[in-house]
Amino acid sequence: MRKFLVFLFLSSFPIFLVGSLMSGETQSSEGTVGIATCKACHPKYYESYAASIHSKKAIPDSPANKDGCESCHGPGAAHLEKMGSGGAGIFIFSKKLADAEQKSARCLSCHSETPRINFWDMGRHRAAGISCDNCHTVHSGTPKNLKARQPDLCFICHLSIRAQQNKQSHHPIKEGKVKCTDCHDSHGGFGTKMIAANSANELCYKCHAEKRGPFFWEHPPVEENCLTCHAPHGSNHSKLLIDKPPKLCQACHDAAGHPGTPYTSFETFRGSATGSKNRMFARGCLNCHSNIHGSMGPSTRGQTFVR
Amino acid sequence: MKIAIFILTAIVFISSPLCASAEEKKPEEGKTATGNVSVTGQYTDIDGNRAKFNEYRDNREGIGAYIGAEGRYETEEYYMHGEAGNIGYRDQQYRIEGGKWGRFGLDLYYDQIPHNFTEDAKTFYSKPGSNHLIYPTQPPSTNINTWNSFDYDVMRKKYGGGIKMEMLKPFFFNVSANRENRTGTYPFGAAGTTPGGIAIELPAPIDYTTDAVTFQAGYSKNPLLMSLSYFYSTFDNDNNNLYFRNPANAATAALTDALTLPPDNSYQKLDFKGALKLPMRTKFNVDLGVSQAKSDASLLASYVATGGATPITLSSSTFNGKMETKSYAFSLTSTPVSFMDGKIFYKYYDRDNRSDQITTTDAAATFTNPLFGYKKNKVGAELGFRLPSNFYLSGAYTYTHVNREREDIPKNDDYLYDLGLRWSGLSFMVARLGYERLNRRADFEGQDLGGAEPWIRRFDAATQTRDTFKALLDVFPVENLNFSLGYKYKHTDYEDTILGFQDMAGHEFNFDVDYLLAKRIRFYGNFDFERAVQQQFQRNLNLTTPVFDPAITTSTNYNWTADQTDKSYGFTVGADIYIVPKKWTLKLQHSYLKSNGDSDYTYLLDPVTLAGMAPGGRAQNNIDIENWDDYSLRYYLAKITYQPTDALSCAIGYAYEKYVYEDAQYDGYQYVPATTGTNGAYLTGAYRDPSYEAHIVFLNLSYKY
Repeated sequence: MRKFLVFLFLSSFPIFLVGSLMSGETQSSEGTVGIATCKACHPKYYESYAASIHSKKAIPDSPANKDGCESCHGPGAAHLEKMGSGGAGIFIFSKKLADAEQKSARCLSCHSETPRINFWDMGRHRAAGISCDNCHTVHSGTPKNLKARQPDLCFICHLSIRAQQNKQSHHPIKEGKVKCTDCHDSHGGFGTKMIAANSANELCYKCHAEKRGPFFWEHPPVEENCLTCHAPHGSNHSKLLIDKPPKLCQACHDAAGHPGTPYTSFETFRGSATGSKNRMFARGCLNCHSNIHGSMGPSTRGQTFVR
Repeated sequence: MKIAIFILTAIVFISSPLCASAEEKKPEEGKTATGNVSVTGQYTDIDGNRAKFNEYRDNREGIGAYIGAEGRYETEEYYMHGEAGNIGYRDQQYRIEGGKWGRFGLDLYYDQIPHNFTEDAKTFYSKPGSNHLIYPTQPPSTNINTWNSFDYDVMRKKYGGGIKMEMLKPFFFNVSANRENRTGTYPFGAAGTTPGGIAIELPAPIDYTTDAVTFQAGYSKNPLLMSLSYFYSTFDNDNNNLYFRNPANAATAALTDALTLPPDNSYQKLDFKGALKLPMRTKFNVDLGVSQAKSDASLLASYVATGGATPITLSSSTFNGKMETKSYAFSLTSTPVSFMDGKIFYKYYDRDNRSDQITTTDAAATFTNPLFGYKKNKVGAELGFRLPSNFYLSGAYTYTHVNREREDIPKNDDYLYDLGLRWSGLSFMVARLGYERLNRRADFEGQDLGGAEPWIRRFDAATQTRDTFKALLDVFPVENLNFSLGYKYKHTDYEDTILGFQDMAGHEFNFDVDYLLAKRIRFYGNFDFERAVQQQFQRNLNLTTPVFDPAITTSTNYNWTADQTDKSYGFTVGADIYIVPKKWTLKLQHSYLKSNGDSDYTYLLDPVTLAGMAPGGRAQNNIDIENWDDYSLRYYLAKITYQPTDALSCAIGYAYEKYVYEDAQYDGYQYVPATTGTNGAYLTGAYRDPSYEAHIVFLNLSYKY
């Protein structure tokens, strides 16, 4: 396996080299009418363009250094000939007149060289028919030309995630302290669910470095995937858990003694049970097994995560 | 904090109205200064749990003034943006970025994230939140009025910055660094004796420092991207152990017990990413990463038990943790013809545990810490077709094979099928349907293990069949009306499971609407509903004479089930009423969120046997739990905004927020339910009753330029 991967890695370089000799795409300026002509009929659009990053001549490849409005909308001569009605003869970023692929292609003709956008083809957004203009507006001076701030922008489509982050246990997303893009590559990448890491744990450890270990005693499902027990977008149960201890823990740990005991209303503070209540009330199993993410305790107590 | 002051000074400068007015007097081509300054005076009255109300924020009780500012200054060549929020408060944040368009960019930030868990917790330990918890006399007092009060909260102070260089395009270079200081007190717990015994809730110290630096350099010019990045991070915990006097060991009260805390560690990762455009609108993408995490700790040489300090014999007194991961991903994406998209990919992930294996001998046994690692191979293909009448049909298949160093389920094979259909045939709507099927097969080897292992199927790796249906409808029939409807059904059948989760199912429904009526009233609203059910099958086993086979029932070896249902719904309705457009706006909003959970237990025993079980009085209908993380959140807002000029606006408003939480695990809370045995505990009130009610009156002045 290792030899195969080394071969694959080494063989990719000649492909890169050959590819680098291939020329990039070029744009034709034939049929353009100039930005002044556009401005004469569309002063408001011009103003918003002028306020945007696209109007900056200091950026070598910006539309301001190409054909202005026609860099994105295409040559305007035919548009003029058709008296400009309803976007005739020109490309406009409308749901009615262009599909997502066409619209994104316009943007990518310049932005495909932007490193973080380079993997757009791999992302779920493209596959779902999302185009750049779903999130960005070309005519704006907003940060990153976004149509709205996170997370509201993402919640326009991700209704289910909005509902989850409203739950009582959640990351501080709606409080503005964690952004969707802190965890996800909205422009596409290699991670599952477009996460900005090679594994879920690698992502979580960026903020939760204390869980990184390596620990003397490990809890294998924890080490393999944080999402085994946690729902990162929000949960009805504390600590973003998918279920409450002791039930969650018992789903894997059924053994003689307390792991298999049914903890019911009788084991709560108000219950009349004469034993085993401290495995149920308050934080349940975590009352004692608080080092559940890993322990450095060398004895059996570390092995059971109680030290 | 110095960095915050520096950033704030810069933001004040660029957000200064004086700066703007100067520009207005002498406008220059391409030079703009925009921004706003907002001051909010607020009176807040909180009744109940202030920590939950302020879980991630700092809305102080009484009168407060909250200042925020945002500024942008741009010329044809340079730019500077800055923003500051809640200046001077525990959730303050500052960010500033600037640079030369298309050449380089710099950014600096400072962000404080409070996380308040519980206010006014109580403990008999002195110095809660320190690494040495003591109390004067054994046993500790059970009179909580004599205990010390403290707050459970953790504060993250994160600051950093970065530089992005684009001046040598197509080459690029980025570097960023940040530090996070995390301090506070967090509820940990320990068993007083083990096995069995009391539970002790410990106010543990959080004194963490995490540093991280990232370097990235690369080349990006069509058709080629190459990027190499290096990430290095260290985690430093000021307290590697929490020492505490253990009230369970009366005979050895003077002895200090110890709970281990997260070890110092370091992590580094080298990652190469590349992409190459090929003919026929095809692209080859590659990601190759290697990483290494290290930790080290001096291991404790004894532990405290009823008989006193019990020595531990270790083959090495120092543990060196070392984890190496390798991650390789290759992908080929293509749109060879206009009606078809395709993607094939292969991913490999290897977590190789190279930590020390140390043999420990204590009074209970001799054992060696196992090393957990795993390898994952994933290969898949996706195809999408643009069909006539604006249909888009997609299908995907992914196969994943996992090899893990675990005794019960060392191997998994996942077969994932995905189908999607999108229709955008009408100019005013898009409809999406999706179906996903996961067939997970587990190589179960628990039948050779002891105890109940032959019957346990751990849900993270157990054989399962999972079906997911999704439907989404976006409708925008007229210019000022949008609404979306979403539905999701997910069902997981753990078909081989005897003990563990056997079945999970959930329905989700979401609705969102936004409508602008005659440019005078904007209505908006949403509704979310979710119902989730989990079915669990478990076995009670007698401690001394366990009978593991679930097919056999005795009075102390029997099966039981728990069916948990969570029903949640929430809605928001609101209206922005433009009483006098661009002058007077009234905003009214109401949100409500409710979750209702219950757990239905069944003892699989005949009524006679059940009646004979201790404690008496148990029956099938009185063991269920009706309040299982039940909560509701009610929110009202009324705000009227007056805008005398385009630049100036003032608003006055009132907000009401009420949160009610009920849960069987916290109802009737007792700090010391008992001092011995398995009912015993010394608790501190962590997470106790987070319910609150708050009234907020506010006056906001905002200046925009």
